[in-house]
Amino acid sequence: MWSKKAVAVAGGAIFLTLAGLIRLNYMFISAGLVMLTFVVLSSFLDVWMPNVVVRRETSSDNIFEDGSINVKFLIKNTGLGLGFVEIYDKLPPQARITKGSNYTLLYMKPWQEVSFEYSLKLSLRGHYHLGPVRMRVKDAFDLFYNEKIEESIHSFSVFPQIEILEEQVITSRAPKLLSGSMPLNLIGSGTEFYSLREFVPGDSLRSVNWKALAKKGKMMVNETVREDVMDVILLLDAREVSAVGGGRDTPLEMSCRAAATYAKQLLDERNNVALMTYGDSIKRVDLDRGEHHLFKILTSLSSVIPEGNLKLEIVLKDLLPYIPSGSPIILFSSLDDDHTISEAFTNTISRGYTITTLSPSSLDFEEKMKRIPLQPLLIARIERENMISEIRSFGMSIGDWKADEAVNTALQGG
Amino acid sequence: MEEIKTKKSRIPQINSIINYKDFFGEYPLIFAIKIISSIAMFYVIYEFYVYHNPLDSLITKYAPKVIANFRPDPNIFVTWGFIAGFCFYIFTLFKGKYKLLIIILTLAIVGQYISDPALDWQVGEYVIPAKVETNGDAEQTQWKWKPVKITFDDKEGTNERIADAKNRLSNIIFGIVPFLGAYGIWKRKGWAIAASVGLVIIIGFLYNPNLCLENYDATYCGYDTIEKELTWKEYLSGGIFIGLGFVIYIELSYAAIKYENYAEQFKPAGLDSSLLSDVQKKSVAKTLRTLFVSYLINLGVMLFITFSVAEIVININYYLSTTEGRIQDSIELQGPYGIVFTSLIFFMLLGLLRMFIGAEYDIEEN
Repeated sequence: MWSKKAVAVAGGAIFLTLAGLIRLNYMFISAGLVMLTFVVLSSFLDVWMPNVVVRRETSSDNIFEDGSINVKFLIKNTGLGLGFVEIYDKLPPQARITKGSNYTLLYMKPWQEVSFEYSLKLSLRGHYHLGPVRMRVKDAFDLFYNEKIEESIHSFSVFPQIEILEEQVITSRAPKLLSGSMPLNLIGSGTEFYSLREFVPGDSLRSVNWKALAKKGKMMVNETVREDVMDVILLLDAREVSAVGGGRDTPLEMSCRAAATYAKQLLDERNNVALMTYGDSIKRVDLDRGEHHLFKILTSLSSVIPEGNLKLEIVLKDLLPYIPSGSPIILFSSLDDDHTISEAFTNTISRGYTITTLSPSSLDFEEKMKRIPLQPLLIARIERENMISEIRSFGMSIGDWKADEAVNTALQGG
Repeated sequence: MEEIKTKKSRIPQINSIINYKDFFGEYPLIFAIKIISSIAMFYVIYEFYVYHNPLDSLITKYAPKVIANFRPDPNIFVTWGFIAGFCFYIFTLFKGKYKLLIIILTLAIVGQYISDPALDWQVGEYVIPAKVETNGDAEQTQWKWKPVKITFDDKEGTNERIADAKNRLSNIIFGIVPFLGAYGIWKRKGWAIAASVGLVIIIGFLYNPNLCLENYDATYCGYDTIEKELTWKEYLSGGIFIGLGFVIYIELSYAAIKYENYAEQFKPAGLDSSLLSDVQKKSVAKTLRTLFVSYLINLGVMLFITFSVAEIVININYYLSTTEGRIQDSIELQGPYGIVFTSLIFFMLLGLLRMFIGAEYDIEEN
């Protein structure tokens, strides 16, 4: 293909030649012919252009927010030609290159194999892809080139960032058949000490407290707190209103990070976790456990987009029949633009469920972006405080989560 | 613990005055390419004006009616046009208020230089300001300023300086070509390089051999009689070198821009220097060296082949038009139309050849 430069040089050369004929200027004619000869001869250079094969390798398929992904390109000339090669890997607009470059210019010799690397960082959850790779094999003077678009697409997900929770704040009233790590304040098989009692036939010798035997002169056994598994429901508010703010500073992004953190913690403790998101419709990742399930939840959280305006009362009415009775529900919502919250809580609590709420404050973002005047902001703050007080009055735990706070501290004092 | 307060120096740092890093760049190779392309540009434009005497230009026919003593000399305007272009580039490197300061200083110096002979300051007897008696009455006093009067002393001197300045400035008419070339190479502006080449074509278009003698005397033109015309073969041979010179100028200045852009991509937006480590810089420098050496080899080979082919084409035409036979009867073949005709046939044959030995492009069928 002709490049713009080739067209300009050839056009200039033809003009020079014609101008030379009109003005009878031999200098113009010969200069024009020299430039034209240069262009024509350069067109022959692509006969010896290299035959290039490109392969992309990435360090991982999925990363967490603010994580880096390393990309390595292996470029091989499989022919005897030699020439200049330009390679450009298309990146998502949200990506920031932290090392190297996604563009390179190389001079390839026959059978030569070279590589180049770059690293990129993505600070916002979602599904992204690298590619396609645009490759140009061209002559030294950028006059003629062959362009090839390699449909080498590498899809990857950026999961919400996970924090380490320092303490367990969720408890359940519904014991399960399988033992887990959630303390239920009942005697059972666990690791935490509960009390001492006399040995009865059938007790395992491993549970005998030998120090107590030496002290009291009779066989005593340790009793432990029963630890069990729970069915925990993570309910995420993904309504359009949850996208107030910008970038990572939106209630939705904060909720996703919190949901990922809780999911990781609960699944690590061998609980069953379900994720339900509501906005335009209700999307569910059903109860399950294990590493694979965490992956499913994180993938689902990466896909969440703010849309719709389903009210919490309707959502809970729809969902409660499918939630095992007594299971704790953790709600991640800014509680904005929803007049059904009180009714929703009343109905849910009356049916034996507990709701723990983590509420990122959208007002902080509005204030930060100076989109709300002072007076309405004060009124909105009062309304929010009233809402939080009302939920607390139901005996439910709620965390008023400020923008600059960690997930860890969100429920403290709630 | 007591907080250590660092006192901010009143003298601004050189970085905040001028972006000197843009001049030297991060890679010596790119700096070298710019110097080479500047030399190539200077040489080719100088040679162009040797062949296209600006005194024989249509511009020179009419310009003296507006500008007194207009007499363009390539020895002056090529050098000063290049220096002016380079100085303008240096000016663009200054930051913010320093640019304004330079403009004000330049205007003040030029203004002072021009007005100096004409203006004379006559100063009165009072000290500034002084309390003096009015109407010879000791009781009646008044504050008075020392009278300062501007008198026009030597208007002719100033007029001469204005004419001299206009005359010097008129060099930019032909000097715009090296001005734009120098600015384009150092500031990495492709449009400026393209404009300089375009202006060369326009100026060449306005050239008429011996036009000067038709309008002015021999003293002005610098030659007594109409010079003997060069043969068309001599002109063509000279033109080949001019053509090659332009190819070198265009290619090298374009290469300077291309390789500098390659290095620039490692520079985060808004910063004057890249964040690459020394090892990474060495790696980039090595890549640039490999690219440029390969490029130079390609350019050298291509220029040699271009020169040989151009010589062949011209000589074939010369041979055809001078050998015995029916073909020499064609008057057009011996002139400029003949050389263009022969060349077009040659290019047509090259095109045919290209059809058979070029890479094959398969059309994908839907």
